Amino acid sequence: MAKHLLKFSVNGKDHALVVESHERLLDVLRDRLGLKGTKEGCGTGDCGICAVLMDGKLINSCLIFAVQARNKKIQTVEALGTADNLHPVQRAFMKWNASQCGFCIPAMLLAAKDLLDHNPSPTDDEIREATSGILCRCTGYVKIVEAVQTAASEMRK
Amino acid sequence: MVMVEERATVENLAKSRHLLVVGKSIERIDSLDKVLGKPIYTMDILPENALYLKVVRSTHAHALLKRVDVSKARKHPGVVAVVTAQDIPGINESTALLPDKPLLASERVRFAGEPIAAIASYDPAIAEEAVDLVEVDYAPLPAVFSPVDAFKADAPKVHPDGNIAKHMKLRKGNIEEGFKQADIIVEETYKSQFQEPVPLEPEAGFVIPEPDGSVTCVGSIQSPFHVQTGIAKILSLRPEQVRVIQAVTGGAFGPKSDEIPVDVLGMAALVAVKTRKPAALAYTREESMIGHTKRHPFVTTLKAGVKKNGALTAWETTMLADTGAYASLGPLVVIRACFHATGPYVIPHVKTDAFCVYTNNTMAGSFRGFGGPQAHFAAESHMDAIAKKLDMDPLDLRLLNMLRPGSLMATSQVVDESFGLEECVKKAIEESDWHRKREQFSKMKGPKRRGLGIALMYHGNSLGPEGSDYASVNMQIEKDGTVRFRTGLTEYGTGAPSGLIQIAAETMHLPVEYFKIDPPDTDYCNDTGPTVASRTITIGGRATQMVAGELHQKLKEIAAGMLGSSAKDVESENGVFSVRTNPRSSVSYSNVVRSAYDQGVQLKESGTFTAPKCEYDPETSQGTTYLQYTYGAVTAEVEVDTETGQLQVLKMVTAYDVGKAINPLSLEGQIEGGTVQGLGYAIMEELVHKDGVVLNPNLADYYIPTSLDIPEIKSVIVEYPGHLGPYGAKAIGEPPIVLPAPAIVNAIDNAIGVRLNEIPATPDRVLIAYKRMIEKTQKA
Repeated sequence: MAKHLLKFSVNGKDHALVVESHERLLDVLRDRLGLKGTKEGCGTGDCGICAVLMDGKLINSCLIFAVQARNKKIQTVEALGTADNLHPVQRAFMKWNASQCGFCIPAMLLAAKDLLDHNPSPTDDEIREATSGILCRCTGYVKIVEAVQTAASEMRK
Repeated sequence: MVMVEERATVENLAKSRHLLVVGKSIERIDSLDKVLGKPIYTMDILPENALYLKVVRSTHAHALLKRVDVSKARKHPGVVAVVTAQDIPGINESTALLPDKPLLASERVRFAGEPIAAIASYDPAIAEEAVDLVEVDYAPLPAVFSPVDAFKADAPKVHPDGNIAKHMKLRKGNIEEGFKQADIIVEETYKSQFQEPVPLEPEAGFVIPEPDGSVTCVGSIQSPFHVQTGIAKILSLRPEQVRVIQAVTGGAFGPKSDEIPVDVLGMAALVAVKTRKPAALAYTREESMIGHTKRHPFVTTLKAGVKKNGALTAWETTMLADTGAYASLGPLVVIRACFHATGPYVIPHVKTDAFCVYTNNTMAGSFRGFGGPQAHFAAESHMDAIAKKLDMDPLDLRLLNMLRPGSLMATSQVVDESFGLEECVKKAIEESDWHRKREQFSKMKGPKRRGLGIALMYHGNSLGPEGSDYASVNMQIEKDGTVRFRTGLTEYGTGAPSGLIQIAAETMHLPVEYFKIDPPDTDYCNDTGPTVASRTITIGGRATQMVAGELHQKLKEIAAGMLGSSAKDVESENGVFSVRTNPRSSVSYSNVVRSAYDQGVQLKESGTFTAPKCEYDPETSQGTTYLQYTYGAVTAEVEVDTETGQLQVLKMVTAYDVGKAINPLSLEGQIEGGTVQGLGYAIMEELVHKDGVVLNPNLADYYIPTSLDIPEIKSVIVEYPGHLGPYGAKAIGEPPIVLPAPAIVNAIDNAIGVRLNEIPATPDRVLIAYKRMIEKTQKA
């Protein structure tokens, strides 16, 4: 199997790895870089739970070969905030108890961040649209929409 | 009638001081790790040198296994171990209730997808390759794929004793007499489908072999103690030699409570003990959807006798539940369905026969609602069918026949005063603008029509007759004042364990910040029974109150010693203990804790709360079947496109009598989540089998609601304190999934004048039914 040199940036840090052609970005993030925040829910691009930002665009990391990330900037949930310095979307999800089982939350947070970076005052429908690629089975999405609105108003301050 | 010995909860509530923590919408204690994306789920914390398993599954729905040859797979480079039934040191069994299911099939397979062997490699891709190298010779057997066919006398037998795993009966009054009293009889058959739970984290677990021959199992599970006994049986170990730790669990909804985690960890355990290496098994989405348990499809025939004024006289139900190849908890599902078959109405003469039937489909078992959704879909559809026949407002028919305090349920249990159904209906009517909108919708013309439907429910709380109903809790105060809380009741998204902390904090008059929940671990928790049946707050909450109360009493005694007073004269508030008669004489919680440590007093308590037994006659189901009930009323407003069958649910009002909301924000989250899962059940979700093979085991062909599919949801919380739960709390985890289906189906009828007796109400089903109705009207 062909091997490739993969140079890319993950959460602001440059990495150079040798990867095989068939390796998925998801596995490289989780198993090679130890970034376990990105989850696998289906492996077929249907649930959106493995979503990460690639050059600021939300993509399913289970559908992307690692080599496709060459020279790209990847952001995962780990880049959002820390316990002492939470990103407003993280704080808002906590406030609304919008995280239940939590499995979809890393992807939801990235989708929310991505939306708010481009649209500081989204409507509820725009929030639903922006998160529609990620399935959640616990919340019925109601508290997630509330949380994104709260984060939006925090970020506008 | 059995009463909870301590009716204290309700009375104490009236007397109690102002609640400081209970009833407050505070943040869940598990949120921070989750929003940070911490490595907390099973596959995030895998040991580095773990072997990965892949499972060889049956390609036949019913066949004898003539030969299972794993020799080529064993020789495949990179394969470390292959296990089959022959490698099982103990009993080849992974079951929920009846001893009907092997861990690994050895003589016969009963469904397509049944595990036959497992292959282990350090590289999951190699294990996957080797799956194809296992040679299995099947001798196909006649198979049966519908509960109606399986029920017939000459049907192929799935198990030696026949296809009926359980027959549950209810007899109240005299059904013939009831029909004689009726002016009209309404009879219909209702069909519901396999619903797939879709926890977003598929099943996962790993097993570490310990040097002393014991094993440690870590996994995505609901009920650690069920896994412990299951694995012990398979490995021929004592239960104490199997340590089970629950990793943070990414959704469950039922299938992770019974035999499925035993399947996962059982196969991994066989590899772990054989190789002496940690071994992990994570189901793919497809494996999960085929291999785990789903909601039972029901075929329900309902015959009701009614007076001209709408008074119900008789209600006869036959339910056939398709439990698939193995019973799982199907027998208990039909018990619950049987008790709830009439819906929340007063009916003098009732006859119910509910059958749990084996077929060669994949397995059905525990899933949120547990028979309640199927029973209420039929009953609440039937109420609208009756109203239509009588040309009555379906709301009026319901109000006329609805249970009220003092009336008798189908089980002849007396409805007590903890009855919020009437208020739920009132709120649902107000919030949905029932009368004005029904009037407005009836005048609509054109291809797009709107409709408004309603459905009512009751839900017997906790296990009732379905098992021994106990929960235990351990609490320990550390030197720095941290209260460590341990229970085998698990968190898998519900927020209920966070609710237990609120109850403990309230009992001890301490801020929640002092509390810390340790992960459920069979080495450090007492057997707590399963985390199912929405029983964490009700039963676990009582255990929490008890243990926290004892610990608080201990602290008061120490404080009394420090203050030169007696414990009965000491009161506490927010971490300060003071003498009632002299509030200035006080001592802080942290000083009391320090003093206890100095004196060598152990600040450690544990205890088990056991609910009173529910007693009823198994031949007639007459008696007390549950200790308290959650009630609810749901309305759905829909728009139907009569040209395409496309259906949009615009608004749902969900009003539930929850007894007491321990955390209203989390509770709303449960209601909204259950409502949307119920909406999926109503209009889009169906796991389709063809000759026993699942045709859509993926999330591209099996749809669950996305954020774009949800209606406006208005949740209303009604509080009529019950006798069982702490502060009067009732079960709420399961109930919200029960009513969306009948409410939506009734709304469709209101919109386009068509009754759908089969769900999901997909566009093709709606369109076909509508066209048939138009043709029929034109012919007439």
